Amino acid sequence: MAGNERLNKKWYSGMFSQEDWWAVWMGLFFFVLGLLSLTGVDLVGWAVYPTKWVVNPVANIAKVPKKGKKPHYGAIGRPGKAFYALGKKYGTKAKKNKEGKVISKGSKSFYKGLGWWSIIWTYIILSIITFAGAVAMKWDRKRFFVGWTLIFFMTIAVWFIGHHAFFAASTKPVKALIDGKIQAMKQYELYGLPFSLSLGGGASFILALIVGLVIGNFFKKFAKYLGEAAKPEWFIKTAIVYLGVKVGYLAIKGTLIGEKLGKKLGAELGEQMKDLTMDLFLAGAVATIVAYLVFWPVVYTVARKMFKLPRKTAAVLGSGISICGVSAAVATGGAVRAKPVVTIMVSALVVVWAVIELMVLPAFFTHVYPTTKDPLVAGAAMGMSVKTDGADAAAGELMDEFMRIKIETDTGGKVKWPAGVITTSTVMTKVWIDMFIGLWAFVLALVWVYRIEKRQGETVPLSEVWFRFPKFVLGYFICWFVYLGIFFVAGGGTPGPEGIETFKLAKVGAIPVEKGLRKLFFMLTFMSLGIITDFKKLAEAKFGRMVWVYFVSLFVFIIPIALLIAYLFHHGMQIPNIAR
Amino acid sequence: MMIELVVKHNGRDWIVGNEEWTLSAPTLEELDEKVETLVKEKGLVKKGETKKIFMAFDNSIIPQWIRQYAQHYFNRIIEIKA
Repeated sequence: MAGNERLNKKWYSGMFSQEDWWAVWMGLFFFVLGLLSLTGVDLVGWAVYPTKWVVNPVANIAKVPKKGKKPHYGAIGRPGKAFYALGKKYGTKAKKNKEGKVISKGSKSFYKGLGWWSIIWTYIILSIITFAGAVAMKWDRKRFFVGWTLIFFMTIAVWFIGHHAFFAASTKPVKALIDGKIQAMKQYELYGLPFSLSLGGGASFILALIVGLVIGNFFKKFAKYLGEAAKPEWFIKTAIVYLGVKVGYLAIKGTLIGEKLGKKLGAELGEQMKDLTMDLFLAGAVATIVAYLVFWPVVYTVARKMFKLPRKTAAVLGSGISICGVSAAVATGGAVRAKPVVTIMVSALVVVWAVIELMVLPAFFTHVYPTTKDPLVAGAAMGMSVKTDGADAAAGELMDEFMRIKIETDTGGKVKWPAGVITTSTVMTKVWIDMFIGLWAFVLALVWVYRIEKRQGETVPLSEVWFRFPKFVLGYFICWFVYLGIFFVAGGGTPGPEGIETFKLAKVGAIPVEKGLRKLFFMLTFMSLGIITDFKKLAEAKFGRMVWVYFVSLFVFIIPIALLIAYLFHHGMQIPNIAR
Repeated sequence: MMIELVVKHNGRDWIVGNEEWTLSAPTLEELDEKVETLVKEKGLVKKGETKKIFMAFDNSIIPQWIRQYAQHYFNRIIEIKA
């Protein structure tokens, strides 16, 4: 930071020098590029995406082809096709005139040829934007560029390994052609495997975290060098802006899926998706308010009465554990005018514990409680339990993968949930928590200044609420409401032919952003989280009682009560079934 | 018109000031007293007048690794009556 950029004095302070704002710019940049698809232009189809692969595909197995098409034997799981540009699948189709002559090739044919080169396209385009951000935020340019390049390609490598069918293929039933005959089999059998770990995309996330943690804990000099580019909060906030695209697009997606199955079903699915996202919006808000009012007083009391911590330390720790990790700890530290060293110590503790939660909770919520019986209860509970945006959204995404695979496997493919809904329930709760941090800190500051420490003549400026407001949330809601707006303007759940055409064009620009870029930024988050997490910090003597306050409060109180509050407000919410 | 200052902490004391002068104290209460004394000595507040002092926190004190989570510590306003 230099000059006046280090001071927050005006409402626009930090607009081009703070990470929170750069998550908005990076998020909205590709959102706007994607929106141009409504004019028929596809500027985001280059976004890279992996598929499942094996070293030696089975020569006599093929996917059941569409009518009139020939089967391609030996093509399932070819390593050469392990990466592709999303525009190949979701781009614009060729346009023909009345005589059947092609007048416009469409983006599908262009992006089809990229294959593995889509990695390079994605790297170059993202490097331009991230480097612009690094320069604006006055980071070390050389270290950032080298670090970013290393992290990007390590992430791609892990994404590739994680999509080997042994990790990613599931046990869900599929049909395939074997020597000309259609047969039913399990998905992993398509790849010639005797079994698989059935982790879906979750395998890549776990591997990315493991690789990051190995670097962060055993190659500390390397981790320190990469630290200039390992920015999990920046990456996840950008990913959350793309998640806004996903949430807004869900209603359109539901209508398009249902439209293939029948107009009435299309209307139903579209309305269900729209209603679900609004339900999550409201339920998340109410759950958050309850969490603030219940969690904070209890944790503060535990810290003060049980562990005898000083008032300001208890307040900062209380916010860090009960509300939202580092940002809440910093906001509270500022509100009660704690010496910065208290806030820094609590923050270090929060970051490490959040990663521990990320490793434990997704599997626990999926397989122990509440499982796939109440997936949105699990999502909301996750949002109230995991204490940094990065770890929380990452945990939600991991659990989303686990739960979707589990429900498909358990029901034999009869139930299929759209990707990202469980992630949305996690993130939505966290977004509300983030939004209220500024208000909470403001109220706390008023209480501290006017009641507890009673400083005559001091006032708390209302602008504090804005300075602490999470700016990336603006990007999230803009993306969400714009796509929802497209849904309504084009006809809602019962669009005519023109409305369907609009929806299809919207899909071209939405999917590369909400699927390709979102997943990639989640991967970058997992990798970066691991790199910056040093478990040895927990062993440092200085933390002492704070470590135990954290452990007791989180696992004995916060997580169980989060599940209860999530149950009260999210139990019974259904995820639409998109199985055909 | 408000007087604008920058406040920070060096691990031991709170420090406040501008390009012309700097004050430090172990607690905010003592710091405010020093600010009040200096403002009155320099004649920056007239008799019967109330002057507002805006203190913006120097967020470069927040370690780089924390800034991705939170980029604002606090700003505060104190009033000085002559």
